[in-house]
Amino acid sequence: MPAVTFLPGFRKISVEPGSTILDAAQKAQIHMNVVCGGEGKCGKCIVFLKSGRVDFDRKKFGRFFSPGEIDEGACLACQTVPLDDVQVFVPENSLIQEQKILIDARGIETEFNPAVWKYALELAPPSLEDPSPDLTRLLWGIEKSGGPRENKIYVPLEVIRRIPAVLRESGWKITGTVTLVPGGYRLIDVEKGDTSGNLYGAAVDLGTTTIVVYIRSLIDGEVVGVASNYNKQISCGEDILSRVNYARKGGLSHLQSLAAESINDALTSAANNAGIDLDDIYEVVVAGNTIMTHILMGINPAYMIEEPYVPVVKRYLTSSASRAGIAVKEDAGLFIFPAVSDYIGGDIIADVLASGMTESEEVSLLIDIGTNFEVVLGNSDWMFSCSGAAGPALEGGEVLFGMRANPGAIEEVSLDMETLVPEYRTINQIKPKGICGSGLIDLLAELLRACIIDRTGRINTSISHERVRTGRYYPEFVVAWKHDTGIEKDIVVTENDIKNLIMSKASILAACITLMNQAGIRREDISNIYFSGAFGNYINKENAIIIGLIPEVPPEKIKNIGNGAIEGANIALLNRKKRKVLDEIARTMAYIELNAEPSFMDEYTRSTFLPHTDLAQFPMVEELLESCRIRRD
Amino acid sequence: MPMKVDIISEWTGEIGEVTIGATKKEGGSRCAAIVIGGGSGFPFLGGSAPGRKPLIAFEFCDDPKLWSPIVTELEGDVVNDAGDWAARVEELHRPDLLRFYLTSTRRRGFQDFSQLRRTVEEVLERSTLPLIVEGSIDPAIDSETFLCCGEAGEGERLLLGTAEEGRYRSVAAAAMAYGHSVIAQSPIDVNLAKQLNILLRETGVPHDRIVIDPYTGALGYGFEYSYSAMERIRFAALKGDEDLAMPMISSAIDSLNIKEVREADPGQRGEMAVKWELYTAVSSVIAGASVVCVRHPETIVPLRSAIDSLWGKTGGGD
Amino acid sequence: MALKALDIYKLLPKKNCKECGEPTCLTFAMKLAAGKADIEKCPYLDEEARRILGASTKPPIQLVKIGVGERSFAVGDEFVQFRHEKTFNHQPGILVAVSDLWPDDRIQDVVREVRDGVLVRIGTDLRLDGIAIRCESGSAEEFSRAVAAVEAKADLPEVLMAADPVVMEAGLSVCGAFRPLIYAATHENYQGMCALARKFGCPLTIRAESLESMAELSALAAKEGAPALLIDPSAATLSDYVKKATAIRQNAVSKTVPDLGYPIFFDTTVTGMQDAALALGVDKYASVLVCDRLSIPSRNALLTLRQNIYTDPQKPIQMNPGIYRVGEPVRDSPVFLSVNFSLTYFTLQGYLEASGVPCYMLVVDTEGYSVLTAVAGGKLNETLVAESIKKTGLESEVDHRTLIIPGYAAPLSGKIEDESGWKVLVGPRDAAGVAEFLEKEWKK
Repeated sequence: MPAVTFLPGFRKISVEPGSTILDAAQKAQIHMNVVCGGEGKCGKCIVFLKSGRVDFDRKKFGRFFSPGEIDEGACLACQTVPLDDVQVFVPENSLIQEQKILIDARGIETEFNPAVWKYALELAPPSLEDPSPDLTRLLWGIEKSGGPRENKIYVPLEVIRRIPAVLRESGWKITGTVTLVPGGYRLIDVEKGDTSGNLYGAAVDLGTTTIVVYIRSLIDGEVVGVASNYNKQISCGEDILSRVNYARKGGLSHLQSLAAESINDALTSAANNAGIDLDDIYEVVVAGNTIMTHILMGINPAYMIEEPYVPVVKRYLTSSASRAGIAVKEDAGLFIFPAVSDYIGGDIIADVLASGMTESEEVSLLIDIGTNFEVVLGNSDWMFSCSGAAGPALEGGEVLFGMRANPGAIEEVSLDMETLVPEYRTINQIKPKGICGSGLIDLLAELLRACIIDRTGRINTSISHERVRTGRYYPEFVVAWKHDTGIEKDIVVTENDIKNLIMSKASILAACITLMNQAGIRREDISNIYFSGAFGNYINKENAIIIGLIPEVPPEKIKNIGNGAIEGANIALLNRKKRKVLDEIARTMAYIELNAEPSFMDEYTRSTFLPHTDLAQFPMVEELLESCRIRRD
Repeated sequence: MPMKVDIISEWTGEIGEVTIGATKKEGGSRCAAIVIGGGSGFPFLGGSAPGRKPLIAFEFCDDPKLWSPIVTELEGDVVNDAGDWAARVEELHRPDLLRFYLTSTRRRGFQDFSQLRRTVEEVLERSTLPLIVEGSIDPAIDSETFLCCGEAGEGERLLLGTAEEGRYRSVAAAAMAYGHSVIAQSPIDVNLAKQLNILLRETGVPHDRIVIDPYTGALGYGFEYSYSAMERIRFAALKGDEDLAMPMISSAIDSLNIKEVREADPGQRGEMAVKWELYTAVSSVIAGASVVCVRHPETIVPLRSAIDSLWGKTGGGD
Repeated sequence: MALKALDIYKLLPKKNCKECGEPTCLTFAMKLAAGKADIEKCPYLDEEARRILGASTKPPIQLVKIGVGERSFAVGDEFVQFRHEKTFNHQPGILVAVSDLWPDDRIQDVVREVRDGVLVRIGTDLRLDGIAIRCESGSAEEFSRAVAAVEAKADLPEVLMAADPVVMEAGLSVCGAFRPLIYAATHENYQGMCALARKFGCPLTIRAESLESMAELSALAAKEGAPALLIDPSAATLSDYVKKATAIRQNAVSKTVPDLGYPIFFDTTVTGMQDAALALGVDKYASVLVCDRLSIPSRNALLTLRQNIYTDPQKPIQMNPGIYRVGEPVRDSPVFLSVNFSLTYFTLQGYLEASGVPCYMLVVDTEGYSVLTAVAGGKLNETLVAESIKKTGLESEVDHRTLIIPGYAAPLSGKIEDESGWKVLVGPRDAAGVAEFLEKEWKK
């Protein structure tokens, strides 16, 4: 068996013949960056061969490397098979890096109506005069303490088996825990003594990339611990489709356990910080996209990505946490958010709940942007939703120097309109390594204002300026010179990058407009635009409007709701009445299939222009651009 | 029971006008300065005046090897000299305009710009009708080609073709430098047509110097899309969209090359070509085109009768 | 003015009872707005809502069937003025005129031509539709003879054209069971003609000069019990036709004058410019066109135009992706990349055939978009090309590894080479240039 040694850490691992370096890395718990799921398409998992022989088609994948990198022995880990013992060097860029994870759930205002209660009881021991059985005694005790009626409480056999010992060993001083289940209640635990102070619940945002957990006291609702980490499924493919493909190839149970493990890790660190025991968590509420929640529940997600794209379940699910492998109190309740469709999942419903848009007659537009985007338009009376593929450009994919919001990413840019010199800020204020989505949006807006690009995104190559030049395939604009960067290359944005960005933004704008047209809502009728998710948090609102990523509204109407998924999960954890609202949202929200909407392609074409072909829909932007043009002339 | 049926008309926009050709008095050498476009109605819709009568342009070229043999065989040797051909077209076929394609620029490695200039000058000398000139289709030689055409036709108020998304700066620059107008071609889509017009406007080409070419697919080969693209463009203009309120030119340049015509029975090939052009052109004028182009000389007579019948002999409605 | 989903939703009971088959009232409203649901499916509508919604979903132009059997056709049932608003539904029937002054064999030559003549385009058979029998003799006997001569040769839809109800009845007594179109009722003879239409259950054309008199006459004919109507605006010139037909359509689809909500009849033989009249009739709202015998070129152009105008302009026609052969290609024949937009495919295929060089076409799935839009929209990309090469087994069909891509896909050339391992040659942007391209660039 060939052995692979990973530098710089010298971790050594043996693998079956025919395995790839990526397989070895996964085995060694080295988390490589594999955006495409290990199909040789993203070029992110670069390693350098230091010794040994491998099978790798350098010609086929040559486009991912610079000449210098090829000299150093660059390979793609996912496409390289070691033929004997090898040593490879893993550069920092090829590892999954710490990202900005949005864990903030704002101060939540909701009624406190949890779904789990503890009852500390002192029961009278049985006697010949009072021979009622242990269980009845216990349930009556609960009823007398203000709990649910005895005959409404279901008791699992496992709990019944524990009852006699607990009652007697504690001298009949015990605490019973009851949770709400469909059609009644369930006794989930009996403990010795008074443990009624130890009652916690967890809210979980199960994202494709990241996981965020909150632990809250279910006595007063206070937050006691927060933690986040990566979804470990990333090692099986970064985007959601590669996960489904992995599941299809027999990997469902592996993905399921990775999801549970990721949640458990986050819960453990949050519980440690809070100084509480995981066993004191009695309920877990999970919001996630439809595919993630299917996988967590061990339900095959494959049919969702094939025509006619049907999920197995849309309604909310309740179960016990242990059945999903979540290591909290045995038999603790598990509540999984409902979904509207394959793409409008529990995360979006949580966004809607968190935004409060269902509580008002004012019309709001909610946008969640990632590789896929989701848009919801509506108010307390009606709601339309749609989803689509924005392409990876806004997350830094398909852009030559694009990157995720990792340290070193240019996240803000402005151009000096006279000298065309960019001023930028990077995440963690280190030398730039690339540009992330918010930086790209800024750049697009600034290049347009400076008339370096026209409204279709073409660079005006007749401008004579050192930063405007023609690259290998396309004209480009230099954002940072080699000596100022952390990657020893000029960081540029090419005409092709700009085209990709415009296509991404066009899908989103066209989706918004299609929903608005469908409902007969004009942009003036929109009272709020909510951005949810990490992307919206860092975006420059004015620039998003200048490039036509969203309809033009006064910027003060644009609000970030941050991580709406975790916020929604917290609300549902604290206030069980909101679970009915969730159900209502999921059942009544209409879903519009953009591909079946003939006007969508038309709207898309109209939106592949900066900001939009119908300039009258962007009056403020037009005024601004007009003044820019006059200054340039 | 007498009743009155109203004819509905609910738009306010107007189509802009573009002038092609300059007379001696205006500093050119054309027999007339033709105004195309104008009007505030859809042809015959809502009882509005049908607008100016559409005009017929005849297309010819300077390198007949790249032209349909159906035409070159019919026209004879004259096709080998652009000047001769122009003179014959004007005298014999009597279109309203000439549209001259510099097909010689499509030869690989073309560089002979001085010859190109002489050819354009010769066509201008041998003809008097207002002239449309189609330059190169290769971005690498666009700049020189269009400057050369533009300069050769200075003062003649040519219509220069063709600007497209991605290569509009050269033709726009030549038009602006020498006082010509520009054909703006986009691939059968009202939105793309509008985008290109905005780009041209922002490059400094005023609206009254732009003619929209929505790209006309031949009958059976895209005309189903072109017809509606034309209607939509005209309709948007009437609803007040100034970036689409330019006259349109329609040329189903593929008509003579498509399978149905090429493979027609030899005895019927000419008639097939004529019918194909005629049905397309008649449908184009009713969809709003101000200039329709043909390549088969025999299409002109029936097409003119149809247009005369629709708009009246003198134009502007009967 | 079409109602938006929300406007309709406001009129619905909002019970989400699912009895209409939709999960919620809002989805039902969306379907209604898109014309994909029937308002009658909602059991809880109040009268007012039913009135508003019923009016917005009923076709403003009556559906009329002409003829029986395989070649019968239906016209009308149109909703829009411009086809880009929502496509035209029923293409016009084209009927070739014969006269009852002609001998049987002359009549039957025409009948045979209409019966057998076919133009195959994009896998569809295009044909003329039927025969218009014109009474020019004034004699009932001659007329019924002519009708019988037509009937003897084919089961084609017919228009019987006679001004005198007595003559018309003679014709109908031959073919009245086969739902011919009666032409025409005027203010003078409408009672007689309506009685015939009623008796034989045939559609009837009314003819009048002005819009007002057409509306008046159609109301009278309907009152007399004529089961289905068409309107002949009796236009003598092209401009007269286009003006009247446009006004009829406009008043019908806007429902301002419901009495004009019938398909339009256009006799193009009276204009003296048959080709132009036929083209305009197809473009501008005619549902039944009568013409004199057509030359093959006129017929082909006319049928192609009709196919074009009655194609939904919003829906690209798609081909199945895969390998297509032009001629008899061999292992070193050139391979052209094309997309599954049928227009692109047929255009390229035509030029390749013309070039006389046998070759392969690799048609990839761009969801029906043309090269230009597919490149712009990212639907045509290197991954798709590489996967298609693998999936179709192209590599086992040819020995070389050179792919000719469309000129508009040039920006992808490098990426396709990297992804597929094939060498890429950039072909011409215009398919018309492929012959020249093959001659110059394809050397073995």
